[in-house]
Amino acid sequence: MTATIFEIKRFAVHDGDGIRTTVFFKGCPLRCVWCHNPEGLTNAPQTARYAHKCIGCGECKKEGFTPDDCLGEATVLYGKEVTAEELLPILLEDRDFYETSGGGVTLSGGECLMQADFCAELLKELKKEGIHTAVDTCGFVSKSALDKVIPYADVFLYDVKAYDEDVHIKCTGLSNKQILQNLIYLDSIGKDIEIRIPYVPDYNDGQIEKIACFLAPFKNIKKIRVLPYHNYAGSKYEALGLQNTLPDRLPTDEEIKRVAEKIKVITNFVVLY
Amino acid sequence: MEYIKEQDLDYILNKFHDTHKPFTGFERFIIRRDEIFSEDTGMDPDSVVECVLRQDEHLKNFPHPVRKAKAFEFVLKNTRISCDARDRFPGLNMTDRPLHKTLVNAWRKEVFDEIIPEIGARRTRLEKDGIVTIWPDYDHSVPVWERVLSLGFSGLREECRLAHNAHPWDEEGEAFFEGIEVTYTAIIDFIGRLADLADNTAGSERMGMALRNIRYSAPKTFYEALMVCYIYFILCEHIEGLQVRSLGNFDKIFLPFYENDLKNGINEEEIRTDLAYYFLQFTAIGHAMNNPVYLGGDNEDGSTIINELSYVFLDVFDKMGIYNPKIQIKVNGNTPKTFLLKALDMIRRGHNSIVFVSDATMRAALMRDGFSEDVARTCDVKGCYEYAVQGAFSCEMNYLNLVKPLEYALHKGYDGVTGVFAGTSSLNIEDYVSFEQLYDEYKRQLKTVIDTTIETVNSFENYFSYINPQSMISATFPSCIAQGRDAMHGGAVANNSTLLCGFIADIADSLSMIKKYVFDKKQISLRELVAMLDTDFSGNEIWQKKLSLDREKYGNNRDLPDSIAVDISKFIISSVVDRPNATERGGKWTCGFHVARMSYDQGKKTAASANGRRFGEELSKNLSASMGQNREGATAAILSATKIDATAFSSDAALDLGLLPSAVKGDDGLEAMHGLLMTFVKRGGHAMHINVFSADTLRNAQSHPEKYRDLQIRVCGWNVLWNNINKEEQDGFIRQAEALV
Repeated sequence: MTATIFEIKRFAVHDGDGIRTTVFFKGCPLRCVWCHNPEGLTNAPQTARYAHKCIGCGECKKEGFTPDDCLGEATVLYGKEVTAEELLPILLEDRDFYETSGGGVTLSGGECLMQADFCAELLKELKKEGIHTAVDTCGFVSKSALDKVIPYADVFLYDVKAYDEDVHIKCTGLSNKQILQNLIYLDSIGKDIEIRIPYVPDYNDGQIEKIACFLAPFKNIKKIRVLPYHNYAGSKYEALGLQNTLPDRLPTDEEIKRVAEKIKVITNFVVLY
Repeated sequence: MEYIKEQDLDYILNKFHDTHKPFTGFERFIIRRDEIFSEDTGMDPDSVVECVLRQDEHLKNFPHPVRKAKAFEFVLKNTRISCDARDRFPGLNMTDRPLHKTLVNAWRKEVFDEIIPEIGARRTRLEKDGIVTIWPDYDHSVPVWERVLSLGFSGLREECRLAHNAHPWDEEGEAFFEGIEVTYTAIIDFIGRLADLADNTAGSERMGMALRNIRYSAPKTFYEALMVCYIYFILCEHIEGLQVRSLGNFDKIFLPFYENDLKNGINEEEIRTDLAYYFLQFTAIGHAMNNPVYLGGDNEDGSTIINELSYVFLDVFDKMGIYNPKIQIKVNGNTPKTFLLKALDMIRRGHNSIVFVSDATMRAALMRDGFSEDVARTCDVKGCYEYAVQGAFSCEMNYLNLVKPLEYALHKGYDGVTGVFAGTSSLNIEDYVSFEQLYDEYKRQLKTVIDTTIETVNSFENYFSYINPQSMISATFPSCIAQGRDAMHGGAVANNSTLLCGFIADIADSLSMIKKYVFDKKQISLRELVAMLDTDFSGNEIWQKKLSLDREKYGNNRDLPDSIAVDISKFIISSVVDRPNATERGGKWTCGFHVARMSYDQGKKTAASANGRRFGEELSKNLSASMGQNREGATAAILSATKIDATAFSSDAALDLGLLPSAVKGDDGLEAMHGLLMTFVKRGGHAMHINVFSADTLRNAQSHPEKYRDLQIRVCGWNVLWNNINKEEQDGFIRQAEALV
C-alpha cells in the first residue's frame, strides 16, 4: 500500500508532546481560508516553483530532470508516493529523542485520514516499535476512517475551527456536523484528545466562547492549544500558482493570551498557546 | 542592575579598565586603572616595574621560581591598592601582568629566539600558513579549589613548609619550595596590607574584617570564601601570570559556607548580594572568552551536587543579565529537571552563557585514560568545556586545521593559497584513479602535519617551567608538593598536551562532494574541480552553489559525510593519542574538537573548499555542521555529532546548536530543549551549547545596533555582546540562522 505525502518534519515541537517527527499527508476535504499548508490541499502531486531560489544550474532543462535534481530547491515536488516500509526507518531515526522527551510520531496533513488505511498500517508498525503516536485531524472524516486508526493512535490532535455551522462553512467551505460528532465519539470511547483551535481574527474570533462551552463537558481532553493565525504561507500559494486566500489581520500576542485565558476559565482544561 | 547599587555599578565596572575608552577583552592584560589608586598606598606602576628589574639584576644566579617569586613579592609589597565603600572586594593597581613584562616575556624570548630558534621559526611558519596555530599554553589549568578554601593561604604555606622540612630535596625541589614560601608569604602580607587599608576606609570595615580573618586562617563565611577565591584569582591570573581557567565547582565548594551562614542567621539576600558583587568583578575584568565556573556533577554517594545554592547561583546570574563569568553545568541522569529547565529557559531568553557537559562522557574518557572513577567523577571543567582531573596541568592550545592537508594532497604537497611547499609531496591530480587513493593521500598529509606539530610542541614545552614557573597553583596540587616539582615540570597528576582538531565538518563535506561529483557521478574531473577551487569558483558560481546546496553534508545524519567524519576522527586518535609529550613534562598527547576563534583566523588562510565554501570564509565550529549546512534540524545535528566517540577526545568535543525562537517557545519548547540535551547526553555526547536566534532578529540587530545593546551571542565556548563582534562574524551568524529549520 502507498500513500501520498508532501513533507516529513523532524524536531516537530508543537505537534503533540515531546520531540516528534511529523508526516504530512496530501489531500484535505476542507478549504480553510487561512490554510498554511496549501500544498496539502489536493491529493495529486503538484510542482511548485520558487523562482527566487533558482541558482541557474540548468538541470531542469535537461532530459530526465526530476525536482530532486534541483539543488536550489526552486522546483519542488509536493506529493510523493511512499510505502510504510520506506517511511518507517526515517521515522525511527529520532527514536532516542522520542524516548527522552516523551515524544513520537505525528500523522498530519492535509488530512491524513483521507488515507486512513495507510495510516492504520503505518501506525500499527510504529506501535510495534513502541513509538508514541498522534493523529492530527480536521475531523471531517467518516467514522469508519476514524475507527481504522483508533487502535493504534495514542492521542488525537483534533481541530475545532468553529461551533456555528454557518461560520464553519464560511471559514472552511464545509459543515462541521460530522467533525463535532466524531469528536464526541472519540471522547465517548476514552481516547486522549488534544484540541487545537486556530484563532483567526475576523473569521472565527466570535466563536471562542461557544467552542469552549461545547468542549467543557468532555472527559478526555488533555489540553487545548490555541494556534495563532500567521501568514507565512504566502510564498507557497504563489509558488503553487494558487489564489492566495490568506486573511490580512494577524492576532496580537495580547489577544491570544486573552483568548487562552477565556478558554481556560470556561473549560478548566490546560490551555497552551 | 539587580543586587548592585547604581553608584557601585559604575565604580566596579570601571575598576579594571575605563569603560568609556575602547576596549576588547583580549587587551585585559595590558590595561589598568591608575586613576582610582591613591599615591599614599604604594609606588606608581612604572616605578614598580623598574624596581623589579633592578632587583632581579641581583638575583641572576637564583633559579627561576625564586626570581619570579621575589618579583611577585616586590609587586605585592609596593603596588597601589584600593578599598572603596562602593565595592565589596579590594583592588590592586597592576593587573596588567607585571611579571610578564619584567621576567616571563624575556625568558620566553630567550627560549624561542636563542635556545630553540628553529622551533620558534617553525611555529611561526605553521601559524602563518594557517595549518597549525600553536600558542605556548600556560593557561588551561585550575587550582585545587577545595584545598585553597579548606586550608587558606596560610594553611597551604604551612603544608609546603612541612613537606620541605620532611627530608632533603634536590636543587629543583629546594627552588620549588623556596618559590612557594616567598610567594605565599607575599600573599599573606599583602592581605594584611589590604586589611589595614580597609580598616581605615569609611564603609569598608566589613571588607577589612574579612581580610583580617582570611590572612592567617581558612575562610569561615560565604563572603570570606568569595574573598579568598577573588584574591587567588586576581593574583594568579593578573600578577603571577597563569590564567585561572575555572572558579571551580561552585555549588560544591561553597555549599558548606552557604549552609553555615544560614545557620548563623545571615540573611540569604546578603549572601546573594555578595555573590552578585563577586560576579561583577569578572564582568568588569571583561575577559574576551569569559571566566568559567561550573555547577553540578555527582557527590561521592552518587547523589547530585545540584542543591539550593545552585539555584541561587543561577537566579542571581540571571537577574543581573550578565554573561561573564560563564557557566558550565555537569549533567547526569540524576540532574534535577527543574534545574535544567531553569538553565534552558535562561538560554532561550538570551542569557545563554551556559554550556552543558556530560558527566558520564567525561568520566568514561578519564577512566579510559587510567584514572579511577572517584578521580574522574571530580574532574574540573575548565576554559570553554575542556576537562581534566583535579590537579592536572594541561596545555591545549594547538589548533590543527583539518582542511589544509587536502589542499596539500590536491596540489602535489603545496599550499593551495600561498603555493609554498608544505613538507611532503603528493601525486599529480590526474594520477588519482580512485576516491580511496585520494583519501589515503589526504590522511598521509594529515599524519605528516600531526607529526610536525607534536615534535614542535614537545620541543618547547620542555622549557615551560623555565619560562613561567607557577608557585601559586603548584602549592594547591598535592602531587607537586609530594614530589617537590612545579606543575609545569611534571609535578601535576596529569601533564597532557592536546591537539585541537578543527573543521571536521568542512573536511568531511569536502571529501564527500569530491567522492560524489568527481568519482561516483563523474560530473566533473578532479582537475576541473581543483581549478575552480584555485580561482575561488570565479566564473563557476553555479558549481559553487551546487556544492554548497547539496544536502549530503555532515550534521544532517547522512551516511556518506558522517562516516568520513567518524573515520577521520579514528585516524586522528590512532595518530595522536597516548604519544608522549615533552620529556620534561612526562605526560602524553590527547585530542579535542575545539576551534575557539580559528574558524575565522584559519578560515582566512584556507583556500576555497569542495563543499562550496569560498576562500577565506569561516570554517565550521567544533563538532557542528559547516556554515549554514545543518538543514535537517537539531536532532540530525545531534545524531551526526554523537557518531563520533567523544570519550576518545578527552579534552573536549562540543556541539554548537542553533535553534529558532519559534521552535522553543512555550512549555513544549522548553521540554523539547531538555529532550535534545538529554538525548545528546544519552548518546554519549560531551558538551552542548545553544544559540536561540532568528535570522530576522539578527539582521535587525545588525541594522539597529542601538536597539540590541543587550543581545548576547555564543561565539564558541563563550558569549559576547552582538554589537562587539565585527560585521563579518555577524554575517556568519545570520547565515547560520537562515539555515535553521
